[in-house]
Amino acid sequence: MRAARKKVVVPILLGLAVLQAHSQDREIDPNEALQSLLSKALTITISARVLPPDALDDQAIWNAETEKLTLPGRPIKVRLDGDNVRIYLVVTPYIQESGEILLLAQGQVWLSEPTDKEVKYSSTFYSIPVTFGEKVLFFPLGVSSEEPRSKDFFNIELEIKIVPYKESP
Amino acid sequence: MCPDNGILSAYLDGEIDAPWNKAIAEHLASCDLCRAVFRRLEETHRVLQSDEAPEWTEAMDRVRLNLGSRAAGVLGRFPLWKRRLPVPVPVAALVAALLLFLGVSLAFTLLRSNVGLVKITLAPAGGTEIQIAAPISNLESLLKSLGGEDMTHEDIITLPKNVRLLTSGQQLMGTEAEFLRKKK
Repeated sequence: MRAARKKVVVPILLGLAVLQAHSQDREIDPNEALQSLLSKALTITISARVLPPDALDDQAIWNAETEKLTLPGRPIKVRLDGDNVRIYLVVTPYIQESGEILLLAQGQVWLSEPTDKEVKYSSTFYSIPVTFGEKVLFFPLGVSSEEPRSKDFFNIELEIKIVPYKESP
Repeated sequence: MCPDNGILSAYLDGEIDAPWNKAIAEHLASCDLCRAVFRRLEETHRVLQSDEAPEWTEAMDRVRLNLGSRAAGVLGRFPLWKRRLPVPVPVAALVAALLLFLGVSLAFTLLRSNVGLVKITLAPAGGTEIQIAAPISNLESLLKSLGGEDMTHEDIITLPKNVRLLTSGQQLMGTEAEFLRKKK
């Protein structure tokens, strides 16, 4: 009778132990998960430059830079506040199957011009395929090759650059 | 009158005292029937007194075989899942507790990969697929710990004071190379 009992209980326990061991094999190490996540992470650098109306290249009167970490598909948001302007830039990078980045961006501008007492609003979406490290320029107030309307007013340029995230040593 | 077998057996064993033993001896000398009975008793007595043990091992084996086949017949009538095993209550409780523990830990382990921050699937080809299986708040925490900033808030850049900006047309966005080409 005891032998018959062993015949039933022992295989059940062995089966459960094997399943348990098998499931433990599939367990993911949190450090490994974090490293895998970091390997997909992207660093987005956004530089803002204020340009005089007649500025040539690299002659900004002011600049600032911000760096943000994100994952493909996760947007980052930057807001620029000025005396007569507020600019929003929302950037969402996607990694395509080819390895290229598809940059989706939305620019929103609230601007009050001295000649107008109203506040103007404009919003535009962009979809631009870029490679890692390639610079994307955004002119939220536009850019014109014509003679500037006023020498006292400035323009603004935003530069977006996406690179794979690298841990600092 | 002839003596019965019991008196003859007692006479053979020397348990009959005089003068009765003499009378029995005289009767045996004159009675053929009693003398034949007495000779059979003597023969039995002689066999019992001898050193030869009767052969019993073969008979014992036959009995054991018979008992074993009967037991197998009784067990064979019931399938395994219908058999009842008499198990002491403490042992049964211990086994049940052990099975419950193993079952719960197994289920927890199997589900564990889905309740963590990320679920990573190792593809047979060697690639890795990452699925975010966590609530957004957890992901924000993770990204915050990675970048040292809160993703739910936008970065705010304050433009310099006394700088008035003016529109020069429509918003434009493109790669730097594209703008350089247009300039040329």
